[in-house]
Amino acid sequence: MTESIRFILNGELREVSGLPPSMTLLQYLRERAHLTGTKEGCAEGDCGACTVAIGRLNNGKVDYQSINACIAFLPTLDGREVVTVEHLKSKTGQLNPVQDAMVKCHGSQCGFCTPGFVMALSTLMHNCKDAKDDDIQDAIAGNLCRCTGYRPILDAARLANKSKDRELPSDVNALEKIQRKKMFAYEAGGAKFFAPVTGEELVEVYAQYPNATMLAGGTDVGLWVTKFHMDLPVIIYTGNVEGLRSIRETAEGLEIGAAVSYTDAFEALAAYDGSMLDMFKRFASVHIRNAGTVGGNIANGSPIGDGPPPLIALNAKLVLRSKAGARTLNLEDFFLAYKKQDRKQGEIVEKIIVPKKPAGVQFRVYKISKRFDQDISAVCGAFAADIQNGKVVEARIAFGGMAGTPKRATHAENALKGQPWNEATLQKAVAALDKDYAPMTDMRASAKYRADVARNLLKRFFIETTEPDVETQVYRYAE
Amino acid sequence: MADDTSIIGKARPRIDGPAKVTGAARYPSDEPAPGAVWAFLVTSAIARGKVKSFDLDEAKAVPGVLDILTHWNVGGDAKPPAPTSKGKPTTTLESDRIWHDGQIIAVVVAETYEAAREAANRVHVDYDEEKPSATFGSPGAQEEKREPGDHEDPKIGDPEKAFGAAPVKIDQRYETPTQHHNPMELFTTTCFWQGDKLTIYEPSQFVYGLKNNVAKQLGIDPAKVTVVSRFTGGAFGSKGGTTARTAWIAVAARRLKRPVKLVATRDQGFTIATYRAETRHRLRLGADANGRLTALIHEGWELTSRPSQYNVSGTESTARIYACPNVETAVNLVHADRNTPGFMRAPPDTPYMFPLESAMDELAYALKMDPVELRRLNDAPKDPINGLPWSSRSLMKCYDAAAERFGWKQRNPVPGAMRDGDWKIGWGCATAAYPSNIAPCGATVRLDGDKASIGLAGQDLGTGAYTVIAMTAAQALKLPVENVSVELGHTDLPAASLAAGSSHTASICHAVAAACDKVNAKRAQGETGVIEETAANVPNGLPDSAMDKINHGQMAISRGFGRKDCTAYAFGAHFIEVRVHGRTGEIRTPRMVSAFASGTIINPLTAYSQYMGGMIWGISAALFEKTEIDLRAARYTNDNLADYLIPVNADAPEIDVLLVPEEDNAVNPMGIKGIGEIGIVGVNAAVANAVFHATGRRIRRLPIRIEDMV
Repeated sequence: MTESIRFILNGELREVSGLPPSMTLLQYLRERAHLTGTKEGCAEGDCGACTVAIGRLNNGKVDYQSINACIAFLPTLDGREVVTVEHLKSKTGQLNPVQDAMVKCHGSQCGFCTPGFVMALSTLMHNCKDAKDDDIQDAIAGNLCRCTGYRPILDAARLANKSKDRELPSDVNALEKIQRKKMFAYEAGGAKFFAPVTGEELVEVYAQYPNATMLAGGTDVGLWVTKFHMDLPVIIYTGNVEGLRSIRETAEGLEIGAAVSYTDAFEALAAYDGSMLDMFKRFASVHIRNAGTVGGNIANGSPIGDGPPPLIALNAKLVLRSKAGARTLNLEDFFLAYKKQDRKQGEIVEKIIVPKKPAGVQFRVYKISKRFDQDISAVCGAFAADIQNGKVVEARIAFGGMAGTPKRATHAENALKGQPWNEATLQKAVAALDKDYAPMTDMRASAKYRADVARNLLKRFFIETTEPDVETQVYRYAE
Repeated sequence: MADDTSIIGKARPRIDGPAKVTGAARYPSDEPAPGAVWAFLVTSAIARGKVKSFDLDEAKAVPGVLDILTHWNVGGDAKPPAPTSKGKPTTTLESDRIWHDGQIIAVVVAETYEAAREAANRVHVDYDEEKPSATFGSPGAQEEKREPGDHEDPKIGDPEKAFGAAPVKIDQRYETPTQHHNPMELFTTTCFWQGDKLTIYEPSQFVYGLKNNVAKQLGIDPAKVTVVSRFTGGAFGSKGGTTARTAWIAVAARRLKRPVKLVATRDQGFTIATYRAETRHRLRLGADANGRLTALIHEGWELTSRPSQYNVSGTESTARIYACPNVETAVNLVHADRNTPGFMRAPPDTPYMFPLESAMDELAYALKMDPVELRRLNDAPKDPINGLPWSSRSLMKCYDAAAERFGWKQRNPVPGAMRDGDWKIGWGCATAAYPSNIAPCGATVRLDGDKASIGLAGQDLGTGAYTVIAMTAAQALKLPVENVSVELGHTDLPAASLAAGSSHTASICHAVAAACDKVNAKRAQGETGVIEETAANVPNGLPDSAMDKINHGQMAISRGFGRKDCTAYAFGAHFIEVRVHGRTGEIRTPRMVSAFASGTIINPLTAYSQYMGGMIWGISAALFEKTEIDLRAARYTNDNLADYLIPVNADAPEIDVLLVPEEDNAVNPMGIKGIGEIGIVGVNAAVANAVFHATGRRIRRLPIRIEDMV
């Protein structure tokens, strides 16, 4: 039954078999392909030393995105193109604009993080003909450097941005030849990997292997292997299922397929409500957003994922599907208890429906973390209130980091509903938050801090919706 | 042709840049090792006790597993590595003893990385567990006065009496946290044997040290051991000493007769190597009504492992920064069930200058004086402890240059007086100082027509060593820099000392200059063709035999204090702005200006980066970095890069680095003082001082937490 993994690596077709399905792309590059320019710094998608560009065929052209090779399982690359730092020089041996600028601006010290920065920035330059400073900052938010203090790297990016010749080399024809019409099935050493391409194949293979691990972006599951050394005998990969990868605007609202990456989902959600942009940028690095999916961030049930709170506040519905059919539930009802979700055997998360936001609804989401980028939230708070003529008609509040699950603040909501949107109502709602949550102390924040912040964020929401001129935004990037 | 003044002191991009941006630069784990098999470490899940027994059946059954090393089968095959300090090292596979959480207790070797990892996870261990002590204040932690020997306790005058009589006093306690270096490169080792010859690929700050130590551990002739570390992916002290892993990988390779490769995981790096230990301090300052210091009493407490006496004793610096007639210092050790700490960027000065520079700020407020003026008043014309002259001292020049650039004059000293909307603004300053050290070093220069190649077993840890060597040689040989190639990090080359203590540039450049002098002498005699010369430089004050010590992998260094002719320090001044949010307590550091005077700067471009990197480390140490310890289990809990917060790009402020020109003819012939560490020293205090100015809250325990602000 097994087929070989086929992908294009630095312009050459690779056909791989006999390697474990949970082998990471990073291990493959370094130990099998002997491309040691790509480095390992953390094996969990935190440091970016392993950043590579992944090309995916899209309507006759190749879309490139940067990802962390350390948590990408090799079979997920089937049908894709991989570009590493060794492939950036021109045929005549010239450095590409990013490489050249990194040398000139002294963007490299010990040099270990350098290939990752070069790949992150080269991918940006390919995708963005005139990168703004914000784009540059965003592109490297997932790359850690312990030597330079980052400024020389920013200088290098600005210099490279002046260059015209900035395309990654791509070969559409070679990629077209390795696309599959049917499910990809791979097996090595007794471990199985399936990459269905249709929804029917997906529920079918899941029914056949109900204990299989569902794999989407791998930003969490990858760590189960690299960090917790879990054995995953059967993996089902959702990333090639066409039906799960689309975003649609319907009469009901925005439908986001479970395998839509956060990068794509954010674009749609930001158009839906611009106030989400600030949080999105700090949600995770570009590399993680390119890989991680909306469905995965919900399905793994993490109490500190930043996806669910805003979606719950926006009254999102979740559609689950199995061979028996589909069912829809309110997103907040999916989270039963810590790491326990309402997902029955054979069910997959199919899509999220974000209902149209009625006119007059004010919405905000805030992320509070120790470090500005690439940090897990201590508290993530999302607020939606329908305010008509100074009165709160409807309110939905959800927090992450305040309980064992992403959780609504029903007491606070009830304190707001039907009340005038004023200081007195605010104080009552703030006090009610204590009934909604009993947060815990961990290394990210103390219980008291979390409770204080939750109260303050509600106050901030009040200020932003009543006194829009007051500056409440998190301090912006240094200009 | 270059003239004498055209190379040293001119900014130049690093010569190893193209190799680094294309992925061609070979770090030790990138070196090809055909036929290599993989090792994965099994580390202890308890912090104190013994391994009662292993159940290895399930691990051995994993397909591809070749060998499992434990104290049962290899315990006698290697001795523990020599410690870097008094006392004894903790052990690993030599016995069943467990000294700390995360100690190496077994090494699994398999055909693939994945099989080794899986099998390591299937090693079952039965422990005899005892209750561990985690840190200061834990039941069972043992406190003792530090043994004399590695460090001195500076003392002059009658400090207790002077402090008692002082009209203005500061008497406070301070704490600094546990921190881990977390260089981007992991701790890797590849070993293979060719007959009785062992080759080791391992990132190192001292390849001769590693070669000799491992030889001693294995009981073999050091001449049979080769160590290669061409590029090191960041070290910051963590790759200076020999750790236990290396000998066991060598033993595994010998047993299997195949190359064995280890890439330890990020979390294992927290316990199989060293770290910056947590410290506590009591600092007392007495001053007269005008602000002149009359007493300085600094007592420190440092954490270490059970058997080791490792300590950093930063009182050797804090005692001599300011003019004070009555000084007393003491350092105590506290032993707990932890791995042995080690060097981390400015090991003594980062933790010890925090209390001094915080207390100076507190004293300035007590006196209602400007903190810069307080330092000016107490600027020391000579070393206050031994009365020796400074080799050069530009502290106040640094303060004045940085204060002006920062706009310090506009500061309203009243805490909380400066605001921008919801943001409370604070401006703080602090002194940076670091002793100027230099070590013996050898170098080979080969001149072939208009091309030169330089070789020495030093290290470029990202500091720019390749480039400053090429510049030094190009200047001495009157060649363009492009015509000079440099080879480093290989024990076939002449020995260089540990690349640490901000000593490396001074050490290697003097050796290269000495070898070039010999080549030039041959040229002057009319010699043509290929000229190859090897020379060693032994710094003034050290015996000639000091070079032998380096050849044998031991330490020999001339430190900035303890010299007979002068005391030599580089100085600097930091100014930083913090903004503390009135509602959330978030702390931001939008801008920082620091000025440094470090004698001769060979390459301003690489120097600038060293300073700036150090400053960002300082901000990070003040606001983010702390290794959290589970007090019940004596275990590090945030042992990964998601939870151990090193700064990301967005955290880095606008930084201005000012290089204050300084000519120092006394420190060493080339006037080089060292720059790798001074950038971090004092930044933690500057941040805390700025936070006080913003909020009126004096935080004496690092890192400053958001909870401290609400």
